[in-house]
Amino acid sequence: MPKLTIDGRESEVPEGTGVIEAARRLGIEVPHYCYHPGLSIAGQCRLCMVEIGNNPRPQIACNTQVVEGMVVRTETPKVLETRQAIMEFHLINHPLDCPVCDQAGECWLQIYYMKHGLYEPRMVDEKVHKPKAVPLGPHVILDAERCILCSRCVRFCDEITGTGELGIFQRGDHSEIGLFPGRELANPYSGNVVDICPVGALTDRDFRFAVRVWYLETAKSICPGCSRGCNIAVHSNLRRPHHDGGRRVARLKPRYHAEVNRWWICDAGRYGYKFVDDPSRVRFPTRGRGDAAAEVGWDEIVPLIAGQLRRYQPGEIGVLASPQMANEDLFLLRRLVDHLGLAHVDFRVPPSRPGDEDRILIKADKNPNRRGAELIGLGPRDGGLDARGMLRAARERRIKCLWVFHHDLLASAWPEGEIREALESLECLLFQGSNGNGVRLLAHYVLPSAAWVEREGTFTNFEGRVQRFWKAVEPLGAARADWEIVARIGEALGLSFMPDTGEDCFKALAATVPAFAGLSYRELRDTGRLVWDCAGRGPA
Amino acid sequence: MSVAGAGTAELTPEQLAEVRRLQGLYPDKRAALLPVLQLAQDACGYISLETEAYVARLFDLSPAHVHEVVTFYTLFFREPKGRHVISVCHNLTCHLLGAEDAIAHLKARLGVEVGGTTKDGRVTLLSVECLCACEMAPMMQVDDRYEGPLTPETIDRILEGLQ
Ligand code: SF4
Ligand code: SF4
Ligand code: FES
Repeated sequence: MPKLTIDGRESEVPEGTGVIEAARRLGIEVPHYCYHPGLSIAGQCRLCMVEIGNNPRPQIACNTQVVEGMVVRTETPKVLETRQAIMEFHLINHPLDCPVCDQAGECWLQIYYMKHGLYEPRMVDEKVHKPKAVPLGPHVILDAERCILCSRCVRFCDEITGTGELGIFQRGDHSEIGLFPGRELANPYSGNVVDICPVGALTDRDFRFAVRVWYLETAKSICPGCSRGCNIAVHSNLRRPHHDGGRRVARLKPRYHAEVNRWWICDAGRYGYKFVDDPSRVRFPTRGRGDAAAEVGWDEIVPLIAGQLRRYQPGEIGVLASPQMANEDLFLLRRLVDHLGLAHVDFRVPPSRPGDEDRILIKADKNPNRRGAELIGLGPRDGGLDARGMLRAARERRIKCLWVFHHDLLASAWPEGEIREALESLECLLFQGSNGNGVRLLAHYVLPSAAWVEREGTFTNFEGRVQRFWKAVEPLGAARADWEIVARIGEALGLSFMPDTGEDCFKALAATVPAFAGLSYRELRDTGRLVWDCAGRGPA
Repeated sequence: MSVAGAGTAELTPEQLAEVRRLQGLYPDKRAALLPVLQLAQDACGYISLETEAYVARLFDLSPAHVHEVVTFYTLFFREPKGRHVISVCHNLTCHLLGAEDAIAHLKARLGVEVGGTTKDGRVTLLSVECLCACEMAPMMQVDDRYEGPLTPETIDRILEGLQ
């Protein structure tokens, strides 16, 4: 491994490492636009110039590989002067739209101008004008004047999705990013080009003019859109609630994870959070079916539900958990199920259409925590009925009370009429979920769950990686995390285990379920832990 | 080279054999993109979007990348061009010795702007940077010949010879 010196500090990096990466490992950030560690090297923007050895002129750090004994200097007067000149070059035709540009506040032209520019502009000529506000596809909008032609977006479409929609057309100062005429940018990962565009040339139609980025708060999270469990950041707008019609979650952004999703997320996941602030949210507990439904407080509904669960024989009760629920929720539910001695428990309901899947990130299973539900053991117990069996038994009035978490059973792969009949035959249908659906309309009692961004917890992804998500916003109305609701009902039924936090649930889970043994929130940190080796079919 | 029909994207079997020969000359067949585009332009008269997409398929490239190359080079025509192409140099030497007057005269005689083609499809008029013939400035390229020094009279005589 070659040894080199960067700004007087020694370092040893693997053969083939670029100078820019070697510097980054030492915590030295060489300014750059076109370089992206997830893409090929273009050497296009020339901003990453550094001085190497006694070479008379600065060289680009992204496309220069380290060699034994190399001496790199990133802050010499010559480097600083070069950087300033390149900033001036990049801004020659820039429209300076900052007051109306979504990127303002997180724009690398602004950031680097303040750090490395600060020159007196010398341009007196009319700037070159190019197309503005051009929709490229369902999610991305282009302002060609703001583009610095770094080609990151082009390389993303060539190398990551392999769809090749974008190109740089014309030449010189008329060069312009665009689509082959008649095509659109509609691949399932198109939103990522907005993230990697260092400037405001590509912006997100969903986020456009919604809120200024400096008003956003960030919470680390996990995408619940499928069993991949991509690492994301939830950006919420709490300080300007009057902006964007009260939408609290402003956008989701990918969060780097070397093994799960690298720098990317899919569009379905990125824009899949709309249910959080949707009018379909269940905000308060209710009792009574359909038109007779009346809002009640938790203090009133908990004893009512406990009473119902006490009224029936264990054999007359079914529980339909959901792979949308976090490990904490599923664990507490299992505790309660065991406490009540229930056997008819399941979490599997087939979707109406099979999910799409690809070789990049997207998984066919659109649930974030099926693996968790399997490991924690939410399947039928001691010869109990599975989900379909419970519904059959409900039609035959052998199951009288059913507690459904989240599922929209009427929109599953099963015949709607048959399921409706089953649900209508129940004496007591409990629905617990964050958003209303057909089951809610038939339920006698409705319990409002907090959405995943409104609480903390963990999901176990398809490969058995347990990953934490953090709370970004407060629950709407009286909604509570599923485990909290189950805990309150459990308390009324004499369940002795009473967690105060999600972390308490997780501790108990780690102490009880072998796959989770030894884990804790601390231990999981940001990157999560593999608990199940899917290839070897055993604990990792 | 036989014309496969102006504007259409299909090449003849002989032309396709030539494409394969050109692609075989380089370790990465993409290097043959320019000569193949030239071949397509000769065959079709110009490079339409359909031709770009067709050539992209010959190279397993996305059409956007062929479009990049075609829009980069001024010698690719993206619209049908005239039977003759006149390119007047307007770089320094020619400019000082009267290129602007020559261009004005050509525009008036042909009734087109720079970049335009006469209605009868006879001539396309372009202005270009240095053609490396300062000794005959002001000068222009007519198809594959150089003409200069230009005066209104020499221009008129040259135009008469173009059918
Ligand atoms: S649009 Fe953005 S990412 Fe694409 S080349 Fe321009 S500046 Fe780079
Ligand atoms: S691949 Fe799955 S987990 Fe990742 S962003 Fe898309 S829906 Fe979310
Ligand atoms: S980052 Fe090195 S040239 Fe752009």
